Amino acid sequence: MTSFVTPGQQRYMRACMVCSIVMTYSRFRDEGCPNCEEFLHLIGSQDQIESCTSQVFEGLITLANPARSWVAKWQRLDGYVPGVYAIKVSGQLPDEIRSSLEDEYRIQYIPRDGTQTEADA
Amino acid sequence: MASNDRHRFDESEDEEDFNPAPADMSEDEDAHDGSSRARDSSPNRRQDADDDEEPTPAKSRRTHDEDEEEEEEEEEEEDTRRRHDDDDDEEEEEEDDDDDVQQGHRRKRQRDRRNAFIDIEAEVDDEDEGEDEEKDGEEIEDFIIDNAHPDDLVESSRLDDDRRHRELDRRREMESSLDAEKQAEILRQRYGNRRPGKSFGDSAIVPKRLLLPSVDDPSIWAVRCKEGKEREVVMSIMKRVEERRGTKDELAITAAFERGGPDSVMKSFVYVETQRQTDILVALDGILNVYPHSKLTLVDIKDMPELLRVTKTPTLEPGAWVRLRRPQKHNGDLAQVIDVTENGLEARVRFIPRLDYGMRDEALSAVSADGKRKRPPGMGPKPPQRLFSEIEARKRHPRNIQGNPTTNTWTYNGEEFENGFQVKDVKIQQLVVTDVNPSLEEVTRFASGADDGTENLDLKALAASLKDSNTLVTYLPGDIIEVYAGEQRGVVGRATNVQGDIVTMFVTEGDLKGQSIEVPIKGLRKRFKIGDHVKVIGGSKFQDEVGTVVKISEDRVTLLTDQTNNEVTVFSKDLREASDIGGQGSLGQYELHDLVQLDPTTVGCIVKVDRESLVVLDQFGDTRQVMPSQIPNKLPKRKQAVAADREGSEIRLDDVVKEFSGQQRQGKIIHIHRSYVFLHTHATNENAGVFVTKASMVNTIAAKGGRVNAAASGPDLTTMNPALKIHKNGTENKPIAKSFGRDRAINQTVIIKKGAYKGLLGIVKDTTDSHARVELHTKNKTITVPRDSLNFKDKNTGLNIDINGRGGRSASGGAGRGSGDRVPGWQGGSRTPMGSGGSDRVPAWGSRTPAAGGRTPAWKGQDYSGSRTPAWADGSRTVNPYDGSRTAYGSGSRTPAWQAGARTPAPGDAFGAGSRTPAYAGGGDSWNSGSKTPAWGASAPTPGASGNDSWGYTPAATNSSAYDAPTPGGAMSAPTPGALSAPTPGAYNAPTPGISAPTPAGGWQGGWGGPDSAPTPAAGAPTPSASGYAGFSAPTPSAYAPETPAASGPRYTDDD
Repeated sequence: MTSFVTPGQQRYMRACMVCSIVMTYSRFRDEGCPNCEEFLHLIGSQDQIESCTSQVFEGLITLANPARSWVAKWQRLDGYVPGVYAIKVSGQLPDEIRSSLEDEYRIQYIPRDGTQTEADA
Repeated sequence: MASNDRHRFDESEDEEDFNPAPADMSEDEDAHDGSSRARDSSPNRRQDADDDEEPTPAKSRRTHDEDEEEEEEEEEEEDTRRRHDDDDDEEEEEEDDDDDVQQGHRRKRQRDRRNAFIDIEAEVDDEDEGEDEEKDGEEIEDFIIDNAHPDDLVESSRLDDDRRHRELDRRREMESSLDAEKQAEILRQRYGNRRPGKSFGDSAIVPKRLLLPSVDDPSIWAVRCKEGKEREVVMSIMKRVEERRGTKDELAITAAFERGGPDSVMKSFVYVETQRQTDILVALDGILNVYPHSKLTLVDIKDMPELLRVTKTPTLEPGAWVRLRRPQKHNGDLAQVIDVTENGLEARVRFIPRLDYGMRDEALSAVSADGKRKRPPGMGPKPPQRLFSEIEARKRHPRNIQGNPTTNTWTYNGEEFENGFQVKDVKIQQLVVTDVNPSLEEVTRFASGADDGTENLDLKALAASLKDSNTLVTYLPGDIIEVYAGEQRGVVGRATNVQGDIVTMFVTEGDLKGQSIEVPIKGLRKRFKIGDHVKVIGGSKFQDEVGTVVKISEDRVTLLTDQTNNEVTVFSKDLREASDIGGQGSLGQYELHDLVQLDPTTVGCIVKVDRESLVVLDQFGDTRQVMPSQIPNKLPKRKQAVAADREGSEIRLDDVVKEFSGQQRQGKIIHIHRSYVFLHTHATNENAGVFVTKASMVNTIAAKGGRVNAAASGPDLTTMNPALKIHKNGTENKPIAKSFGRDRAINQTVIIKKGAYKGLLGIVKDTTDSHARVELHTKNKTITVPRDSLNFKDKNTGLNIDINGRGGRSASGGAGRGSGDRVPGWQGGSRTPMGSGGSDRVPAWGSRTPAAGGRTPAWKGQDYSGSRTPAWADGSRTVNPYDGSRTAYGSGSRTPAWQAGARTPAPGDAFGAGSRTPAYAGGGDSWNSGSKTPAWGASAPTPGASGNDSWGYTPAATNSSAYDAPTPGGAMSAPTPGALSAPTPGAYNAPTPGISAPTPAGGWQGGWGGPDSAPTPAAGAPTPSASGYAGFSAPTPSAYAPETPAASGPRYTDDD
């Protein structure tokens, strides 16, 4: 399955708010997020997709080799699957999902909308 | 797990600001994990969040880890338990110390020790911890202490043993009775926080600074691409990467990214991360819109993080102003954020709807009839923005509307409306959030929309919206700027070049003086000095104000505006050095001090020009703020406009006048509109020095150009009094002649008396008041000569003629009858000559020659009497001839009567209604009831009956002059004058009054017939009757309108 999105389909692209991967809505719906499906449960759930992914994102990254790429490391994408990611994803994960992420899955959620980087810059 | 580890663990837990060094990480991974897990629960954790990697949730890895986790868990539990044990130990150690001090308890201490030992023993299998244990320990302790006899030791130990076993049993029993789930819950509560997040572990806590690129990392190259195609390029690279993965051509690049966007400084580049530059060519070769063969720029390692810098978009706050992109109909419209969804991706906004309420439904339905759901292209023109109107909506779509009138919320055609505004949830990408720049006009429409009519303008939100628009800051070369942020902070210089967000500045102060540096626009602000003359160029409602800087505080500059002398504070970014003074003053076609029509009956003078509105002072002195669109018309300045001031002198534009009353303001006339004058003064700033008053309320102070003005000396009587005027002109009387018809000088043959052409003969071709154009006989030339240097010649005889002598008419008659005769009469103010004149005419009257000659004097008289004042004056004088002629009358009784009569008209001489009023009022009831009406009716026909249609005029005209005698005569009959003139004394003993009574009556009718002489005789009429002719002879009434005297007689007597 390719991560390529034809220009015509690009308007349907969404970015996962957790891992920032960019896919079309239908792919999120059919396959879920390749990195976060375990706890986001996007497959088939329109609500979940709309609350956990965002149409508003900036900066596309083609990640060919997550293991070796510094960009991936910097963006904390190493360990994720190759694919297209966004540099900035606007929007906030709903609080209940966020807290369940942190409590149940022990995942530290880092918003990708720029709030964090400003703090440590 | 080694105790060493455990120790470390404890330490780490105590340590608040634990920042793991990379070395630790690799060395004691477990411990580290543990610590990070422990820190999960601490509130500080979030602060350190950037240190923790976000989830790395590789699923497989996670499941794989499950077992490990469990193991770890158990280990940990044991850890904890042991730790607690240790704690106990420690406690007891302390106790021991205490005991050491208190020697007496040695035994106890020993037992304590043993107790401790027992405790430990007892707890080997114990799953519980903490308090229970301690409690148990204490219990045991107590027990032992209680039986603290050496002899009992064995026994007690036995008992103790027993007890311990029982205790253990009990506990196990209890435990097993516990619900498994509950137990799990307890466990989780206890240890849950330390569950390893191993799947996200390794980099989870690596702070960003440790991720900074090193030389070992692949380098990043900037590759040019077509602007706007960045995403496509990146996608194409992705595609190629995937296509070639696993083949021998596998791309060597590790990543590629773009930071495009219309506002981005990094647009038209894609960045490719790879170890070797050559890989880029392979990877990008043949991909559209990207130009790897042009120059590739290697991004410096230290710059690499900047490429990926993310700045947070300011979140929308309720109340903020945005612009809509969709729906298309509202593209560009201002909207206000009401609410923002939790994830920040949607906002509820309100805006002014553009509804046509189905006016164009036909067009739409026609399209849908084809089965096409496509909308007509372009949608036609947008309907104007108007607040939602329920009434209009109901007109066409009564079914499509539902809602609640009390809350004023409606749903119409699927759209929601609240208080007239449309309310809609809009995705934030369909909103323009930056550079909104709401204009005052737009915002006021929102402000006025409150249902209670109050202004709910949120200035704070507005200010925020305006301040955010940083990109509007424009620097021009030459601006003096100051760096206020960043490394170059404090540097002051002059902008020399501006490119995008970078300003090149030439430093003029400080260490860097003389250098040129480049600074981002972000950290710049303009610098002004107190006293600078500046203009507000944008960003605030004070736009276009010009003023002087009076105070500077950081980036806020206070200035005193030139126009209003107000202090306003604006951001320095909104200012620019002003080259023009005062500036402003015009908005569209409207300028300060223009006169504009506000509505058909109101005009106003513009006293302030704002950015989008005007302040207008209307003719009633009220100021109002109007939009240019509300002004239907601008009135051009009428230079010729003239008005009369309080004293009747003419006043024109630019004259300086002063109010007669009130504030006695003085000002220069800038507009004259009907009876209002708009004045401008420098004495006050109110309304830009403009005020309005009535023309009749001002006195002239100085007329422009020193125009001759009678203001100082009062009204110029000579211009009003015909008699004086005539006098002034002497016998020449030229103006009078001049005022009629064609100038008789034209076509006359003249000889020139003076000047260069003296003696030459010519024909007058054209004339003005003072000059004549004369066509010379001698040469073919027309010259202009003063009229007074002409001698008029008779064409035929060559004799001198008087051109002013009435020309042809004078020949036909009355040449001697000129007004000249009468003028003295008038002038004399004595009627005596007039009387004689009148006597001349009497026959004429008597004979009723209606000839022009007869009337001419009448006309003449009228001519003079443009005001009939003299005529009125006559009224009183009228008596005289009577008296004179009727000396014989001389009856004592009548004299007063006449005086009375004289009196009555006397008020009449004021000419005003006042004169009549007493007549009527005096006549009061009786007049109204009958006497008057018949008097009118009867008297009017009388002259008519006398067959003289010119009578209407005659008395009117002559009443002034000849009245007294002829009128009655005329009115009565032919013989009357006869009777009057001579026989009066003799014949009329009784009837005289009768006659005299009608005299006024005649005067009356004449008066009424005439234009406005009426009142006098009217007044006069009652007089005689009032003067005691109650005892009128019978015939008189019969001869006349019978009732008049009869009815009025007594009444008047009464009145008198």
